[in-house]
Amino acid sequence: MGINLKTSVVEHRERRLGTIIRWDGSAAQLAQDSAFTFGTGTDCGRRGKRLCEASTPFSQASMCAECITVTNATLVQGAVVIQHSPIGCASSQAFTCRYFRDLSVQRGWEVEDPHSLCSNLTENDMVFGGISKLEQTVRDAWNRYHPKVIFIATSCSTGVIGDDVDGLASQLQKELGTQVITLPCEGFRAKHWSTGWDVIEHGILRNLVNKAPERRQDDLVNVIHLGGPDVFSPLLGQLGLRVNLVMGGNTLESLAQLTEASCTITMCSVLSYLAAGLEREYGVPEIKCTLPYGLNSTDEWLREIARVTHREDLVEDVIRKERAKVAPKLERLRKVLNGKRGFVAAGGAFAHGLIANLHELGVQIDGAYSFHHDPSYDSNDPRQDLLAHVVNTYGDIPNYTVAADQQFQGYTALRRVRPDFVISRHGGNMALLTTRLGIPTLPIFYSNDGIGYEGLLTIGAGILRILARKPFLDDIAAHSTFPYRSWWLHQNDPFAFPAPSTGTELRNEVPVASR
Amino acid sequence: MPLAKHLPVVEPQTASKTNTIEQSRYACSLGALTSVLAIPRATPISHCGPGCASKQYGALAGINGYQGGDFYVPSTNIGEHEVVFGGVERLDELIDATLKIMDSDLFVVVTGCVPDLVGDDVQSVLRKYVSRGAPLVLAETGGFRGNNFTGHEVITKAIIDQFVGPYSGPRDKRLVNVWSLLPYQNTFWRGDLGEIKRLLEGIGLTVNILFGAQSKGAPEWKTISKAEFNLVLSPWLGLQTAQHLEAKYGQRYLHVPVIPIGANQTSAFLRQVASFGGLEVGSVESFIAAEEEVYYGYLRDFGTFYSGFTSQYQLPSTAVVVSESAYNLAVTKFLASQLGILPCRHIITENPPEQYRESIRAEYRNLTPTVSTEVDFEEDGYRILQKVRQADISDQVPIVFGSTWEGELAKQLGASLVEIGHPATDEVVLSRTNVGYRGALSFLEKTFTTVVRASTIS
Repeated sequence: MGINLKTSVVEHRERRLGTIIRWDGSAAQLAQDSAFTFGTGTDCGRRGKRLCEASTPFSQASMCAECITVTNATLVQGAVVIQHSPIGCASSQAFTCRYFRDLSVQRGWEVEDPHSLCSNLTENDMVFGGISKLEQTVRDAWNRYHPKVIFIATSCSTGVIGDDVDGLASQLQKELGTQVITLPCEGFRAKHWSTGWDVIEHGILRNLVNKAPERRQDDLVNVIHLGGPDVFSPLLGQLGLRVNLVMGGNTLESLAQLTEASCTITMCSVLSYLAAGLEREYGVPEIKCTLPYGLNSTDEWLREIARVTHREDLVEDVIRKERAKVAPKLERLRKVLNGKRGFVAAGGAFAHGLIANLHELGVQIDGAYSFHHDPSYDSNDPRQDLLAHVVNTYGDIPNYTVAADQQFQGYTALRRVRPDFVISRHGGNMALLTTRLGIPTLPIFYSNDGIGYEGLLTIGAGILRILARKPFLDDIAAHSTFPYRSWWLHQNDPFAFPAPSTGTELRNEVPVASR
Repeated sequence: MPLAKHLPVVEPQTASKTNTIEQSRYACSLGALTSVLAIPRATPISHCGPGCASKQYGALAGINGYQGGDFYVPSTNIGEHEVVFGGVERLDELIDATLKIMDSDLFVVVTGCVPDLVGDDVQSVLRKYVSRGAPLVLAETGGFRGNNFTGHEVITKAIIDQFVGPYSGPRDKRLVNVWSLLPYQNTFWRGDLGEIKRLLEGIGLTVNILFGAQSKGAPEWKTISKAEFNLVLSPWLGLQTAQHLEAKYGQRYLHVPVIPIGANQTSAFLRQVASFGGLEVGSVESFIAAEEEVYYGYLRDFGTFYSGFTSQYQLPSTAVVVSESAYNLAVTKFLASQLGILPCRHIITENPPEQYRESIRAEYRNLTPTVSTEVDFEEDGYRILQKVRQADISDQVPIVFGSTWEGELAKQLGASLVEIGHPATDEVVLSRTNVGYRGALSFLEKTFTTVVRASTIS
């Protein structure tokens, strides 16, 4: 199992990687248990035990895979995205548009609206099927824009009623002479939204890469990132490498040439599917080492890229120069931030990267909150186990919570450690909490902010800017309440919720990785 | 990196209406869970997939003036297990947990597509909690059932029937229930409902405004049955609720389709309500007089600017309005009757039920004794753009009132865009209002600041 390009359906990460969304304990314990259970982690000591997902009868609105899939499909230039769904799934279109326009400014692209269409299913379609409406919407997409690629994203409702989307897609692909790609991303199918990355990466791997590359571009390096400005070219350019930046915003050309590159670098292991697929299916090697968060890790990362691309003679100069460039400002930032207590809230490996950033800046971390935990990665390579790397390098984090953006648990996790500031991704719910708790918060929209040598400066300066808001936040907190009963308001344990009085059986077993 | 061109727009040969919607301008039925959030100390419990509630909230409260709100919504976050085996057990578990942890006066269970499709017997789950006295109601809002406008009335009716309950006691002669703008969908609902409440209290009424910070929440909803009458202040939304209340409690209702902006409209509106409610004329007139004195003080000085003093600007003469019907009609009326900015293209985007459309058309045909226009109903952004492009704006200076999606349109027309509805990504809205006496003034400020800025910085 794992990567299977014969079908449009991706195997979900809870089955592929053993992903969990509920856990609380120390970071070291989580790393140990992950390694013990899946055998792919770095050794964090010999106290590991089977990784068990925690449970709680209470849960709050979260996010789904469809949202991630559709957002990132929309960021593919030259493509049109169809959401085969009732209109509610498409209500994110304006957000995606805002993102696309902003990203276009960051990347120097022409600023314009992306094109997303919804098949707009209603009650009748639930009874009689929605496939004829989907056909109409595909035709509308074609007639309106003549796109090179039409993505069709499915939804909960079309998954339940069982529309044959794959069948229609291949029929219309032949008829229209354009690529029509199904993205099966029903929100109910995966328990965590990050599966949405796998769905779009699977779609790219199956359909959009050049499947028979005639040449290898030796100086071309694939960089798979969550999204944002190109902070990689200034660094890798010095090694004589060209960056093929994909995922958070791509051209079709950049996706096609993925298979021609000399190697692939993934900036967040949450996105590891594409890199693993390029290696396994097309022989493009994946760089397997820790990610460039912090000075030493960035050194090691550059050295590994240089080794794989045969540029060892250039790399030490680059490292020396780049370190010297950031040194004075970094020194100043470390002085100001030293001893401040930070809290990280982000998803999986991205959280681990931010934790490394904060440690490098001299910040103390007593608590962190990850929206999901992947105990293994698609490469099965322990060198990519960033959590273990962080624990081994900087020490344990005593309070490490895994929860899929659950405010009631976020509240408890924050209350337990009372940090001076929070750094967070997917910031909406976290911002709601931290504002009312009076904690300055640095939101990370563009995930490349913390990468490399410069990343430390970007994050450090960002923290200083938000710390200045403390008086405003104290004022808000003094005039805020939370809608929880008092027993919860005084809780320190995010999983302290008592067993249900109804005796309902909980489904909390850990899925067994299928490999 | 080369400048990447996205996609050419193919000029339509025959752009006939289809099911397709591009550039969504409303949410699904489940999106009306924001109406529950709009009631102080009320909590929606969503029985749906993991992303449904957040997506609707993000669209309506986020990229729509960045309104924000207390979004702590319990959700079953349905997975494959519930699709296969049904979600009743999971909902039962969640309701039990919600009642233990959340401190709230009213819980509204809202359902998404999946439970409505797999046929979960949600009512039976609720029954045991309701019989124990839990303030819990059910609204079936599966996304395929309609949009957040129709979902809003489903939720409203559910609360009235299952929470407010039967009543046959005396009425409070001065108490009125107000059914007007759709919370969160309308970017300015908070400020507007505040102004509407202020006006009605000004003429001597006690007001159940029902949504927003100025509502007292569940206790206020409990008094709905005691009101003397219902005021439906919108082209169509709320009419079903008012008719339901008429049947249920024998309450009369007054339907005013045009939300008043500016003194002319507002004073006429207040007199109409006063007459319907049998209020004492003297105090109504003195309130109106005091308000008008302030209003016209400001308007006179604005008039100097509008007539060209110190102004080299090209001020707008004709308006394109693309929005849901309540604001579309209100703004169009104000522009035509108060400012002499004549109608150009008017497109209503929320898909009002067919039975209300003729009466809405009639309002546009009678904007003033001398100004009339035809209104279009269209939800698909692509077709909206095509329709507006066909408009003749020769010799006119156009201005666009719409959503973020009208940015490209405004650019093509060389016009300013004033965002007046969802999605509004370029406005930060806190308490701003556009209605009544005070709202009209801030509407003028926003509109003409936008126009002036467009000429000074480009």
